[in-house]
Amino acid sequence: MTELSLRLAISLAQIAAVMGIVMLTVMILTLAERKVLGWMQDRMGPMEVGPYGILQPIADGLKLFFKEDIVPAGANKFMFSLAPILAMVPALIGFAVIPFGPSLTFEVGGIKVQPFVISDINIGILYILAFTSIGAYGIILGGWASNSKYSLLGGLRSAAQVISYELNVGLAIVGVLILAGSLSLVKIAEGQAGGFWHWYLFALPMPQILAFVVYVISSVAETNRVPFDLPEAESELVAGFFTEYSGMRFAFFFIAEYANMVLVSCVAAALFLGGWNAPYPGTILGHLGIGSIAWIENVAWFTVKVYFFLFLFFWLRATLPRLRYDQLMRFGWKVMLPIALGNIIVTSIGAYFFRQ
Amino acid sequence: MKTTVTHRAPVQRMGLRAWFKTITFYEILLGMKATLGHLLNYKPVTIQYPHEKRNLPDNYRGMLALLRYDDGTEKCVGCDLCEAACPSRVIRVVSAEVPGEPTKRYSKEYYMDMTRCLFCGMCVEACPVDALGMTREFEWAVYDKRQLHLNKEQLLAIGDRSFPIREKRLELQHPNVAFFNIPFKHVPQKPA
Repeated sequence: MTELSLRLAISLAQIAAVMGIVMLTVMILTLAERKVLGWMQDRMGPMEVGPYGILQPIADGLKLFFKEDIVPAGANKFMFSLAPILAMVPALIGFAVIPFGPSLTFEVGGIKVQPFVISDINIGILYILAFTSIGAYGIILGGWASNSKYSLLGGLRSAAQVISYELNVGLAIVGVLILAGSLSLVKIAEGQAGGFWHWYLFALPMPQILAFVVYVISSVAETNRVPFDLPEAESELVAGFFTEYSGMRFAFFFIAEYANMVLVSCVAAALFLGGWNAPYPGTILGHLGIGSIAWIENVAWFTVKVYFFLFLFFWLRATLPRLRYDQLMRFGWKVMLPIALGNIIVTSIGAYFFRQ
Repeated sequence: MKTTVTHRAPVQRMGLRAWFKTITFYEILLGMKATLGHLLNYKPVTIQYPHEKRNLPDNYRGMLALLRYDDGTEKCVGCDLCEAACPSRVIRVVSAEVPGEPTKRYSKEYYMDMTRCLFCGMCVEACPVDALGMTREFEWAVYDKRQLHLNKEQLLAIGDRSFPIREKRLELQHPNVAFFNIPFKHVPQKPA
């Protein structure tokens, strides 16, 4: 019984830490997005709250918290309340299997603890894909339950878009899974140790560059970001599926979107860019003989990779206009899907001939 | 009769160069280079308005005001020319005789409805005695629209705070006579 409670306490502490870091990242992202977009467009971004506007996320959060919570007339109240939760929970739950640092273990009272991953389950990436699919339900239900034409159109678009592009995400990572021989993100990240030429993005003989491009584009589409923001196209659908939402429910959708961005960035970093591995063999701290704190370097590299992807999201948003709906569908099914399938075939043939 | 011409969409053949540009996202990368260039050479065009204000040009046409001479008498002679010149019917002048001097007039009441004013400056141009001026004030947002309905005292107060250097009243000129404020050659100048 004490062992069980200890295990529970350790897990809860890890979950709290990861949740805190993710929420902090989301807060930083809301500010960073506005700042980076502003800088790219020769503006300043938020400047009023705090020095250089750095307290803007807190002001936004307070505002959303104290806003009136409106349920539109004719809305399905249960579904309307359920949708934001359905959007947010899957976005956060995926972080359970992401390895943020090297796979160390230490023992606390006879229990093995992996400090940088909440749970190393052997179907890690499948678990993430499954839960991000559930996240689409939140968007679709939110659009349907609002009893508004804009919400419904946004939800419908989102349904079609997420289904189309999730397929590409799933197929794009198959090449990596073939090379790694495992679905566990911890094993995949470990398999890329020893310099950037071992990352699956560049690893000879089958570099997954095409799969990486397909994954990045499809993950942008899956998180409903510009240039694939058709479900929330503000010039066409007011705000898409969350048109009718206000207050904390809107905040839930907002957090879900940003948490999804962080999640797909973490997965991209773990699958293609070597996860927590440095782009050179080993770690500098390890070579200096203080390998016991080398995890700092590894975690820092993981953070750098994730933030690079997040910056890419902002960069694309500042640059590209929105796609038309038929362009989106044609691009997904007639361009991305064949490339992903071809990559699987080439990678599997290569793996068959070169790996033995 | 010739055969009917069928319009068929011409087959678009993509050249090797265009094809290469497409698959490498060449145009998207160009755009991203442009945005990154703006990020790296960050020169904002923003003026943080309430904290910093832009320099107004010399001929800026701001809030209207009634002016006084240096001895504190009003310039306005109640001629109604500003009211006639105004395209938006902002101004209403109630002209009256100066008590005891039947040939001399002044504006007994003077109203401006600034909700309608379009700051064209035609009243200022029309005024024969330069009794109207345009200040450099522009922060006149109010919560109550009626606060923009100004009377003579308010307009004079605006003039007093915006034009501290007043025009000199000329010799032999009655405070409320329309001598058009032009110095007569045969009248000796007032010593400075």
